[in-house]
Amino acid sequence: MMEFALASGIGAMTACGVYLLLRARSFDVILGLTLLSYATNLLIFSAGRLAVGKPPVLQEGLPATLANYTDPLPQALVLTAIVIAFAMTAVTIVVAMRSHSDNGSDHVDTREPGDGK
Amino acid sequence: MGLAVSLVFVMLSAPDLALTQLLVEMVTITLMLLALNYLPPHSPVEPSRARRWRDGAIALAAGAGVSALVYAMMTRPADTIAGELLARSLPEGYGSNVVNVILVDFRALDTLGEIAVFGIAGLVVHALLRRARLRPWEVMPGRPDRLPMPGVLTQLLFPMALAVSIYLFLRGHNQPGGGFIAGLVLAIPLLLQYVIQGSQYVDSRLGFDYARCVGAGLLLAGATGIASMWLGYPFLTSGHVEPNLPLVGEVPLTSAMAFDAGVYLVVFGGSMLILSMMGGIKPPLANLRSHAK
Repeated sequence: MMEFALASGIGAMTACGVYLLLRARSFDVILGLTLLSYATNLLIFSAGRLAVGKPPVLQEGLPATLANYTDPLPQALVLTAIVIAFAMTAVTIVVAMRSHSDNGSDHVDTREPGDGK
Repeated sequence: MGLAVSLVFVMLSAPDLALTQLLVEMVTITLMLLALNYLPPHSPVEPSRARRWRDGAIALAAGAGVSALVYAMMTRPADTIAGELLARSLPEGYGSNVVNVILVDFRALDTLGEIAVFGIAGLVVHALLRRARLRPWEVMPGRPDRLPMPGVLTQLLFPMALAVSIYLFLRGHNQPGGGFIAGLVLAIPLLLQYVIQGSQYVDSRLGFDYARCVGAGLLLAGATGIASMWLGYPFLTSGHVEPNLPLVGEVPLTSAMAFDAGVYLVVFGGSMLILSMMGGIKPPLANLRSHAK
């Protein structure tokens, strides 16, 4: 049941992200990319299977096997992915700001659609 | 949205991820609010209805596809290498927080590449905005207000945040924490000072070169890797000593800690570089504007 809830949540985030991405306006694209990166992080995280209430940190007296602890590998991958996604968002935002100030349009094609150029 | 994701991580027993997501969320929101001042306030509504329907259909298909993929992945039996990582973490990585041990020891080369990307992103932002003169959408008339009480509070907060950040950094190998989280914890009170007191004030008081901080962190992380090659081990092999210091007693030290310190410096320096550049954008000169138009 929890798997279904998380899967549909990830799907909803992806759908919103893709729709915003297709709007082709700079701030919409930035928000869309952010939503897509949340969805991707949760997707990678869910590859480790969901575990409620398992200890993430090794404890004395509990043998170090996967049955007793959460899967650490997807967590480590997602931790770097979160930080990289922030860096990517920052670069996208700054490129959008420069593009808007240099080209006078916030459309990703740097001109309004239907300008006929 | 990020807060909801962070709560999901808390529920599914991933404290490291929850902390990172929470801190990154604060920084991202500040960044977006700063950027909104330089982007148009309204996006024009898509005129063609056919295009809106088409985009909606594509988005729904993508969402449904990803949902099906995730559900199919989660409901099939798991067989991962993670059991091996868990078993080796304490005897070979000398840390009980397996997530952190993976980051700074088992997969340290990945992390080295990752902080390099983070540092480069910081420098790209620096290069794009250093000489940029952008016109904000709205300029408040008059000088900005000085807020004395919040200003004093953020100054009081900073040393405490420094202490918390060092604490999180030191315990990172065995408890949730580590270089990524500690770097962000240090960046956020400084960010508050920028927000409340203005970038010129903080820059003049602190006079700290964030680009150098990124460079120093990358050098430190790289040097840790090369040091192990000098001792005859492969690149980035982790060493471990337990020196007996006076007063403190036995202190477990790993070379992965020096690597984590590199991560700490890069994450702090990179995020502050990005945010201070965003805060310090100059308005266009009057004659430049008339020349350009």
